[in-house]
Amino acid sequence: MYEHLMENIGGPVAFALEFGDIVNYFSPYTLTLFILAFAFTVLAVVSRPERQIDIAFGGDAYTAKVITLQEMRFRRFMAIACGLASMGAMVSGDIFNFTLFTSMVGITNVGIVAAVRNRHVLNAAYEYGIVAMAATLPLFGGAAIILATTGTLSIWELSSGTWTVPAVAKGLLGLGVIGEGMAPFYAAKAEMFRAPGAPYVIMCSLSSLLIFLRVIEIIITI
Amino acid sequence: MMDWTYSAGLFIAFAAAGTAFWSLVKENDDLHRLILVDLLEVITLAFIALAGTDLAEALILPGLVVGISELMALSEIYLRKEGLRNQPRNMLRIEVMDSAPGIIAAVLVVYGIILTGFSGGAVAGLGILFYFTCKGHEEIPELVETASGCAWVLWIVAFFTFILLPQYWLFAVMTAGTAILIKVMAKMALVGTMRGGSDV
Repeated sequence: MYEHLMENIGGPVAFALEFGDIVNYFSPYTLTLFILAFAFTVLAVVSRPERQIDIAFGGDAYTAKVITLQEMRFRRFMAIACGLASMGAMVSGDIFNFTLFTSMVGITNVGIVAAVRNRHVLNAAYEYGIVAMAATLPLFGGAAIILATTGTLSIWELSSGTWTVPAVAKGLLGLGVIGEGMAPFYAAKAEMFRAPGAPYVIMCSLSSLLIFLRVIEIIITI
Repeated sequence: MMDWTYSAGLFIAFAAAGTAFWSLVKENDDLHRLILVDLLEVITLAFIALAGTDLAEALILPGLVVGISELMALSEIYLRKEGLRNQPRNMLRIEVMDSAPGIIAAVLVVYGIILTGFSGGAVAGLGILFYFTCKGHEEIPELVETASGCAWVLWIVAFFTFILLPQYWLFAVMTAGTAILIKVMAKMALVGTMRGGSDV
């Protein structure tokens, strides 16, 4: 029924789960991204967090930052939620679900560093949050324009070539994902990585990379 | 006709988005920027609503929920980074806020129940929000969230009824309508009531 996808960027479809016209599918491309997200989520579950140590220049003095267990627990929860949202964005066959998962990635990214008691990190998280929130306008706007012009949000249906998706909608969708944490908006996010807690902050970076790779597939496919 | 109205609406929405982004660029105060970004979210909902179908109406709810949760997360970050710990008390004391909340909230909630569905939830939520604003809200959000969770389960049950037992569609419609009413009401009631209290 959906043989046309075979020639697309994702490669032959290995598995598809239909919910009406919404089809969640695994192609080698999305499967790879999904496995990456899954692996890093497992890593966030099992790993022990780092203890950040600041070394003073010109001497042997150093300070270890104390982080409470409760704070770490919250950040691990947020990192796992971020991983789950990324996984959802990787397999989603519906553009609106994809945008929702992308927004959720933005929220959880803020959440990962929200518990840090460092004004600089909190300022960066706030700036990033403002950008991520503003980015939901092009993100949802793009999906809404696709719905209004074609009447469907299913990536499978749209990839059949029956409908022409307006370039402006594709552009808005891409812009929205870029706003959630790719360059040039990455600058706000990079400052968040000063927060201690190595395995968790990596999810901020990885999740944006994954959703960006997925949106490229979506834009090319539809 | 439809195409013309959609294009006009889209043009207005884009103009509003441009204005909002421009104001965001010009604004330097953090709190003001948060409020401006919230206005931007409203334009996002307008983009979805412009599609004007049942599906678009169904998509507004998740869009709204995501917007509210982002706003709440950012508000918490703002409170933390500014070191605002104590929630303000007695900011606005008008006599009507002591005497009227019960009756006004009741009227709004009853009217919301008559409306049912999404718009009913919004009206009833406004009533509850007004009540919280006037009477305080210690521990109430927890109860509201429980009701919201139960309503969500009811909503899912209604969808299963639609799929598995379509002959009981009227029951499913009523269940889904009531559940979405309670759920939207709970979500609307959350706006502005969480200020980093002890139970958050």
